[in-house]
Amino acid sequence: MRSLFPNAWHVARREYLTRVQTRTFLIVTVALALVGLGLALAPLLVRFFEGDPRTDVGLYAEPDTVDVAQLQGLLAANAGAGGDQWRVIPVDDEAAGRQMVRDDDLDGLLSAVRATDGDLSFHAYTDAGSTDPRLLAIRTAATQLAIADRLERAGVDPGQAGEIFAPTAFEVDPVNPDASQDPFASGNGFAAYILVILTFMAIITYGTWVATSVAEEKSSRVMELLITAATPRQLLAGKVLGAGAAGLSQYVVILAGILVGLLAQGVLAERIFGQDAPSQLEGIDFSVLVPFSVFFVSGFLLYCVLYAGFGSMASRQEDVNQVTMPMLFIGMGGYFASFVAMATPNVGWVKVLSLVPFFSPYLLTARYSLAGNVAAWEWIVAGALMAVFLAGALWLAARIYSAGVLLYGQRASLRSVWRAVRVNR
Amino acid sequence: MSLVVDRISKRFGPVVALDDVSFEVEPGRIFGLLGANGAGKTTSMRIVLDILRPDTGSVTWQGQGNTQLPRDTWGYLPEERGLYLRMKVIDVLRFFAALYGVREADASRTVEEWLERFRIPDYRDRKVEELSKGNQQKIQFIAAILHDPDVLIMDEPFSGLDPVNVGLLKEAFLQMRDRGKTLIFSTHQMEQVEEMCEAIAIIDRGRVVVSGALRDVKRGMGRQVVRLATDGDGLGVDWLDGLDGISITARRADYVELRVPSGTDPGRILASALDRGERVTLFEIGEPSLEEIFIEHVGRRADEDERHLAEAAK
Repeated sequence: MRSLFPNAWHVARREYLTRVQTRTFLIVTVALALVGLGLALAPLLVRFFEGDPRTDVGLYAEPDTVDVAQLQGLLAANAGAGGDQWRVIPVDDEAAGRQMVRDDDLDGLLSAVRATDGDLSFHAYTDAGSTDPRLLAIRTAATQLAIADRLERAGVDPGQAGEIFAPTAFEVDPVNPDASQDPFASGNGFAAYILVILTFMAIITYGTWVATSVAEEKSSRVMELLITAATPRQLLAGKVLGAGAAGLSQYVVILAGILVGLLAQGVLAERIFGQDAPSQLEGIDFSVLVPFSVFFVSGFLLYCVLYAGFGSMASRQEDVNQVTMPMLFIGMGGYFASFVAMATPNVGWVKVLSLVPFFSPYLLTARYSLAGNVAAWEWIVAGALMAVFLAGALWLAARIYSAGVLLYGQRASLRSVWRAVRVNR
Repeated sequence: MSLVVDRISKRFGPVVALDDVSFEVEPGRIFGLLGANGAGKTTSMRIVLDILRPDTGSVTWQGQGNTQLPRDTWGYLPEERGLYLRMKVIDVLRFFAALYGVREADASRTVEEWLERFRIPDYRDRKVEELSKGNQQKIQFIAAILHDPDVLIMDEPFSGLDPVNVGLLKEAFLQMRDRGKTLIFSTHQMEQVEEMCEAIAIIDRGRVVVSGALRDVKRGMGRQVVRLATDGDGLGVDWLDGLDGISITARRADYVELRVPSGTDPGRILASALDRGERVTLFEIGEPSLEEIFIEHVGRRADEDERHLAEAAK
């Protein structure tokens, strides 16, 4: 058996350089990096165009009903940390207040009067819908005000009233304790979600690159010179390394765009809105990037090697999508499985599947981020399996490749792939 | 020690591509592989190169099995021309040289030499796609020989070349032969073979119908060709038909061509002519042309398919 290098290196170098030096590559890479940057800044932009996130409520209160500080305090307390921001503005004239709402100077006007039976009664003047959370918050606060008012009139000490309104202990016991509560709510869930999507896109996009590039050499007939000069294994490994590295270069540039966007968010928010904005990076455990990188790169290579093998069955570039269909299905399987896994990271089948090479890049990332309980032996088993599968894939793909590259004009099917593997010893 | 192709067979599904093919190529010779399209020439070459494996049989060069030989033993010019079109000529050639382990400096020097010899030194830094088909073919030839292989295998090297380039390529062949290289090329153009090859094999539908030194193949036909011209009107030669076993195979403007079976002395034709008082201006005893040999063995011309296609195109 001839050694992979240096020929695989020569093939990889040529592949990488010719690919990276094309104008299309540069344009697409820059464009995608800008898209990444834009997406990362999107929340900021949305905020900017939506304007002030603060809700301004006008309060027209008859004497001896409600005071501004009371309402303000209740709204702020109910909103909790990081919730909507409220500002209560006293209005002396109800008609003028309503006019301010119509002029968009206020989001709504709350009028408080004392009814003939002595109870407080409220009117909210707003175009917010009846299910608008801001309206619901005001309604809750109004109810609290009314109850406090009744208690006071019944002679309850205002100090005691505070205790009455103290929040009660309230815990949720989930029916299925394995399910993580709303995975996307936490920063880690968000990170896992992004990583899984990026993995899937990289595998499908750059895998197809590799396959197309093999088919290109076949249809341009340069293949016959190549297979006399180098062995199928050398060509295959070089192709995967070269096209894969070009793909990863693009990938890294896009990631850099996203990262710059995320990092710049805090600074920009401060400049634009003049206050601290919670960064989306907060609370994310970046240690996930270590296993992710290892399994992403090795899994990526695994997919690419097989993509190259299947690509060699295509006679023309138009056939590439058809012959690489099985790879697409496997890739999509891992992708969808990881969404289920994110909701239930501790279920048995997720644990088992997360060790299997085609799925481990997705599922280990999801498990690690959300449950964090991947045992040391599981890392080792998954890594070992990955190494074995990579070697096997290279062997299988080289077989398909050495037969496939000389087959022209045949309809590519799984059967013809199988025949190709068997025929050429 | 020669290149020995020993009883190789190869099937592609139901199709028998090669059936018990054997031939031998002496080192330092130019060998012609003749056959119509689809006869099995390309498959034979691919098996020799170990791109394909035969179902049975073996290939050895200087006593060593071809699966054991280093790849730089061979230089290959495939029939289908293909290069990386968007790369520069020099970069493509350096790339292939690198695959064969040729150092970059050596590769560059050899490339310059060959570009000079092929009269295209200016194309060094051009992109391949800017070159004409003929010039691309020359680049591909250079790619095949940059690593100075012992055996050069070429599939239809002359097809698509104009006469000037055919001449340049032939010169290159002879020069490589003189340096002790072994050359094998396939073709269905008999003139090229007749001119250059010392030995041949004719392949028809996956079988070798005849092979060996060109002279032996011709002698083995067991007949001779006589070309005769007389001072008369040239058409009054019907009397020749009367002679035993002799037949007129062609009437040219200024001579007739006769086929003489091996048992017959061609001298009888001359004697008869003189007896009849003809004034003989040409009497030549020759061997059958490769064209005739091919037709006799295969039953049709090697380029028949193409002639049909050409006629259909009209």
